[in-house]
Amino acid sequence: MCGIAGIVFKDRKLHPVGDALTKMLEALQHRGPDSAGFAIYGGLGLAKNEYLLNIEVKEKPGLLETVKNMVNIVTPIETEEIIPSVENYIIYRCKISLKSFSHLKPLIMEIDKIDDVKVLNGAHSFEMIKDVGLVKDIAKRYDTASKMGTHAIGHTRFSTESVVDRYHAHPFQSYIVPDITVVHNGQITNYWKIRDPLERKGHIFETNNDTECIVHYIADKLLEGYKLEEALEQSVKDMDGPFSYVVGTPDGIGIAKDQLGLRPGVMAENDDIFTIASEEMSLHQVIDTHNIEQISPGETRAYTFKG
Amino acid sequence: MREIEIDASSKEINSQSRELNRAIKGAATEYQSITVKNPNSMHYIAAGLTEPVDLTLEGSAGYFVGTMIHGAKIHITENAGWFPADNMTDGEVVIDGSAGDGVGQGIYGGTVVVRKSVGSRTGEIMKNGTIIIGGNSGFMTGLFMMGGRMVILGDVSEDAGESIIRGTIYVLGNIKSLGKNADIIEVTDEDKEELKELLESYNFKLEDEKFNQFKKIIPRSMRPFYGKESEEG
Repeated sequence: MCGIAGIVFKDRKLHPVGDALTKMLEALQHRGPDSAGFAIYGGLGLAKNEYLLNIEVKEKPGLLETVKNMVNIVTPIETEEIIPSVENYIIYRCKISLKSFSHLKPLIMEIDKIDDVKVLNGAHSFEMIKDVGLVKDIAKRYDTASKMGTHAIGHTRFSTESVVDRYHAHPFQSYIVPDITVVHNGQITNYWKIRDPLERKGHIFETNNDTECIVHYIADKLLEGYKLEEALEQSVKDMDGPFSYVVGTPDGIGIAKDQLGLRPGVMAENDDIFTIASEEMSLHQVIDTHNIEQISPGETRAYTFKG
Repeated sequence: MREIEIDASSKEINSQSRELNRAIKGAATEYQSITVKNPNSMHYIAAGLTEPVDLTLEGSAGYFVGTMIHGAKIHITENAGWFPADNMTDGEVVIDGSAGDGVGQGIYGGTVVVRKSVGSRTGEIMKNGTIIIGGNSGFMTGLFMMGGRMVILGDVSEDAGESIIRGTIYVLGNIKSLGKNADIIEVTDEDKEELKELLESYNFKLEDEKFNQFKKIIPRSMRPFYGKESEEG
């Protein structure tokens, strides 16, 4: 199954969006117990060219120092934090500066060469939190309720084809354009037909997971100049299979649903909030309305900030 | 009439569908009217309920509310998720708000009413019974319909009546396109009388002129077409 959710506070001011999304995902826990994740936009407050890295590091003597040395060779670590996780891993978080966004992916690939180390993500305008286990445990571990932001997307995972680990937890991120994420419920059955042309363009795939394919596809469309709404509409035409997925960008969120409508999606909005989820019970955690809209087969919806 | 209230958020039930259904079925043997507070869009509420009880859900229901009921009358004061009243054999499910995909999937009897709009594949593989939709109905309404009647007061999306082999779909609004084996014919005076009586019984008040505007979707053949029609013997 999998549960997907997203929320936007329309005034683009800081709100307790982490708390809101945590409640939405807890309401969708029954859709997937394997892992959960959050992409919380707008609250990091990083200066231009600053990035936050989330790195999964196995608890082995000297390994964390190796990681730090690797990062420091490229750029000095400005701040750092260690978050305990499960299965003998920690999450090492550090803030760094880079001359440009184009240096981020090469740095991540260098760090990934270290055994028992995996960069979960690197971002400028959103905070990625994803881990294995239940929403309530992850929320406690990372204190998601305290996270402020403007908008966010999240996921509860029932794994089908790829392994259960932190990296394969959603959201997935692409580095084709800055700070784009995707959470997904379903399968892309023409996966290779979508992936091949993206690889021919030079885009790098880290996994065989179809959600990674979606995020690169959308990022590539944005790079070509599509608006988010246009990219979502084109994806529904190009992708086969049962799916509904939510995209997060620094400017908003959007949902796309397959042409046969084989995966669920509902939404609701008022003057303050735009919100999307797999099920109505998730929406009711953050919005008080009887007016729940079904996303139709092949339909896309998005909310992006103006200006 | 003996009545009882059940709070789905109480400590005993704790918003668990299995516990709620156990409480509903237990109460249905002693009471004629049950009200469930805080249903919180839980799934499978009242699944398999076979007592002829009046059940009110004060709020929204999730997936498969009233699946496989026989004889119960369920009133949902807000919305429902996918497949409400799935495979119902007798009884009534009335939803005051909107509902998701597959409303009344495979029903053998009884009546399903949704006052606002619904998702896709409404009434798919229904064998008998009645479905009334107050708003619009999505893609493939009446997919593989095998009997019964459906009344849509709004518009229907693409492929209405896809592979329908028995039964009737009345549509007051626009029909975006017809599915394979579906045809449109004029409503008869008898149809209009039947529709008027049915709709009034569920408090849908239409001007007389509106009954002339219904379109009637019926099957062209009593068995489905596979592939191209020209290949049929």
